[in-house]
Amino acid sequence: MSGALMPGSILFEFPELFLKALGYTIQLSLIGSGGALLIGTVIALFRVSPIPPLRWIGVAFVEFFRNTPLLVQIFFLWLGLGALGFRYFTTDTFETIFRAATLGMALYHGAYVAEVIRGGLIGIERGQIEAARSLGLSFIQTLRYVQLPQTFRATVPPLGNIGIALIKNTSLASTIGVADLLQAAEVVESRTFRTEEAFGVVVLLYLVLTIPAGLGVNWLEKRMLIAR
Amino acid sequence: MAIIEFDDVHKWFGPLHVLDGIKLTVDEGEVVVIIGPSGSGKSTLIRTVDRLEPIQQGRLTVDGVAVHDPKVDVNALRRRVGMVFQSFNLFPHLTAAENIMLAPTKVKGLSRTDARARADELLTKVGIPEKADQLPARLSGGQQQRVAIARALAMDPKIMLFDEPTSALDAEMIREVLDVMRQLAREGMTMLVVTHEIGFAREASNRVVFMDGGRIIEDTPTAEFFAGAREERARQFLSKVIRH
Repeated sequence: MSGALMPGSILFEFPELFLKALGYTIQLSLIGSGGALLIGTVIALFRVSPIPPLRWIGVAFVEFFRNTPLLVQIFFLWLGLGALGFRYFTTDTFETIFRAATLGMALYHGAYVAEVIRGGLIGIERGQIEAARSLGLSFIQTLRYVQLPQTFRATVPPLGNIGIALIKNTSLASTIGVADLLQAAEVVESRTFRTEEAFGVVVLLYLVLTIPAGLGVNWLEKRMLIAR
Repeated sequence: MAIIEFDDVHKWFGPLHVLDGIKLTVDEGEVVVIIGPSGSGKSTLIRTVDRLEPIQQGRLTVDGVAVHDPKVDVNALRRRVGMVFQSFNLFPHLTAAENIMLAPTKVKGLSRTDARARADELLTKVGIPEKADQLPARLSGGQQQRVAIARALAMDPKIMLFDEPTSALDAEMIREVLDVMRQLAREGMTMLVVTHEIGFAREASNRVVFMDGGRIIEDTPTAEFFAGAREERARQFLSKVIRH
């Protein structure tokens, strides 16, 4: 059966290539999101910290990673850090390229996560914090048991948006050689010259990731909603 | 024996002299009600006891501790002082029982089982044992405030501070909160209460302190105060709050 008769059949002509690529895109997305959440939370805590140098670090981080292009950051992490002697990223193997791309995802989106989490933290009424402190909870305990749990619940929708943006932005990793979905499309296209089909399949595969992710966010949002 | 002692305490909010030379002693087991017009410094006064507000001058001793000494372990001090706020300030993501259990488990290291038993006991004491597993949003204002009182009591404080505990409540809910406070007073809890509830002051307090303009204008045993306040300004204030 020819591709012209059955659109998408190209997926079944290169099943291993596309599946592997999907796997890398998922890995980049999952590790990148986990990293972004972790980095973003830490940076948000820096930004609300009573210690000025921590606040400065937080501001510098957010401004740097939010105000430079993700693609440039990925190139810098891959080539720049290598040139500076960080061996973890240097030797030109697939692993080091993948590491650079993942770290880029986590850092760049972490800056956005930090702003969302910071907004959530400062949105909690002063009175609740006073109540926690008046019970003898320390600053850290108040953050951990009162402020952060409410912040995560309240920020599910904006964090979900960042996560979905991250899934799509993983396509930039192909430019430094990660064999992700976009690169799979390019490879298949160069072998078959069936451009529309190759890229069409990849568009569908991105949707297969992002639409369920969006539904998951909606479900989580309803479940986490705190009645007030 | 004095458990709270203000000695010439001053505090400014910018140019505003909110506490102006406060001298006040509260003995163990005493119930002292602070009344006065809004902006007189009543809330600020009791908030300094828990160091929720800093002071700029003078000395404040609570349970033998110089509260505003920078070397004081403020968390240790706050364990011994319970505070109840006008706006309840329950944690909305935790159930009534979890609100009560948080500090005992995280600060005192009580096991969850023991903390839960204590929470149930305290919810019974404040009259709403059946609400243990409800989130605050499902409770009425009066019920929320009673949970807040139980939450403060769970740390077994030596002193309870009440900052206008009924001011955000509808008339029918004020009573249920005041009943819990009266019971606490009878049990011998040391209480410092800012309130406009003159009835509570009359029945449950040992002394009434009248504040105006950041100063204590009058500090009189309750019976004497209601028989006839010494100060003209206190008499005027009283005639206004009682009339409505």
